Amino acid sequence: MDLPAHVDPDLFAKVRHCFAEALGLEDDEVGYEARVIDDLGAESLDLLDIVYRLERAFDIRIPRGGIEKVTREGLERGEVYETNGVLTEIALEKLAAAMPEVPREEFAPGLKVSEVPFLFRVATFYALVVRILEEGPQG
Amino acid sequence: MARGRPISARFAFLVHPFTEPVRRITALRTIRPRLGLSRHPRPGPEDCRPICRLVLEGGGRLVEGVVVTVPLLPQALLDDQEAAVPMMRAAVARAGGAVEVVGLGSVLAVVAGRGTALQQYLWQPVTTGAAATAWAATENAEAAARALGVWPEGPIAVLGHQGTVGAAIADLLRRDGAQRLHVVARGPQARRAASDGLTPHDDPEAAVAGCRVVVGAATTGGILAPAALDPGTVLVDIAIPRTLSGPTPRGVRVLAGEAVLPPGTYRRGRWGVLYHLLAGYGPSHLFACLLEPMLMAAEGRREPFSQGRRVGWEALQELRRLAPAWGFSPVLASRWRGVSPTRLRALRP
Repeated sequence: MDLPAHVDPDLFAKVRHCFAEALGLEDDEVGYEARVIDDLGAESLDLLDIVYRLERAFDIRIPRGGIEKVTREGLERGEVYETNGVLTEIALEKLAAAMPEVPREEFAPGLKVSEVPFLFRVATFYALVVRILEEGPQG
Repeated sequence: MARGRPISARFAFLVHPFTEPVRRITALRTIRPRLGLSRHPRPGPEDCRPICRLVLEGGGRLVEGVVVTVPLLPQALLDDQEAAVPMMRAAVARAGGAVEVVGLGSVLAVVAGRGTALQQYLWQPVTTGAAATAWAATENAEAAARALGVWPEGPIAVLGHQGTVGAAIADLLRRDGAQRLHVVARGPQARRAASDGLTPHDDPEAAVAGCRVVVGAATTGGILAPAALDPGTVLVDIAIPRTLSGPTPRGVRVLAGEAVLPPGTYRRGRWGVLYHLLAGYGPSHLFACLLEPMLMAAEGRREPFSQGRRVGWEALQELRRLAPAWGFSPVLASRWRGVSPTRLRALRP
């Protein structure tokens, strides 16, 4: 599998294995750019299981709703994240910045909050693990 | 309940409160005043205590189950899955005696690797209830479809078919002869669904259109707008929280998808009645997940019916054989009351 130059192959192998275990797949069925729901067939409990396995594998804590939380916290005073369940333009910009591994055109106007998990790639979780490891132990 | 008679087998069933009031009631039952009366209690392993005993008799065997509470609310379990494991281990130890099988209820069945993390610490098989839930929901969906005159032609929608229980339900329905099954799937998953003989749709509203029977098996609740269901539709719902994002529309009937009627040889005692009511079973029914550890203990089965992500076909078939053999039957029920097929037939599209 060809990985982008910035990806640590050993670290990605561990992330990939967590996905494979959680989803009942072989490791080589989990691609770096695979969409977690549409390509790998995951559903919400699988995401919970994936997070659990990543936490154990890397001895880290992944806050629930981590990506949405980071995005909401990144909003300035007065900026709104969503209206009637639909993401605002500013929220789409912030999410796109938080998830550079997702093609920009997928952050289209009209995207609902409930549809955000459909954007997740395996790469999204790899980036999350890297960020948490770089931040070091919390508390 | 079974005084003086030797117990053939014992199982532990681990449960948790869904709300703070229920946790307080349970804490008072288990004589944990610190939990029952404190404003901000922090439960520890020492707070995992038995709350009732259940008994099943049959074939000359007497099976005893101990229901043990893990006093963590769903949010706490989901926020820190790793913390659930020592609590569950303590709960098994608190069951006392020679427990041969461990069953996990509700959120305990899905956190920490869906039973796999706990299994690493126990010699007893750990089973999560997914197979029994799929069996009960499938039987109830087929009964509803027959009552409405749409079996096997359908179409029947299965929401959540990519999940463990939803996939098992779709598989059972298809093998039982359902001719048109609508599911939600996109991209490669849609192609996979189509090759399995299912009809994929982009979203839940499209999947349920034209379906008089809908199975709600998604693991995220509130995924379906009530307006998406036409009058005359039956929703066989096993989702927690419930599938509909708003009040049930007129002319639509929502059934407790995993409701099971126990046999007369099942007894629960005084505290068991309280447990039944607090767990949402109602006075006469069970939720199917409780059947797995009970039947495993009754039959001396060592292989879990469910653990981890997949439910095996062998497990589903075996459960389908054993549950009625021991007198358990899925039942059409809504809000603690049985619903007759006649009442379903009265629903008009």
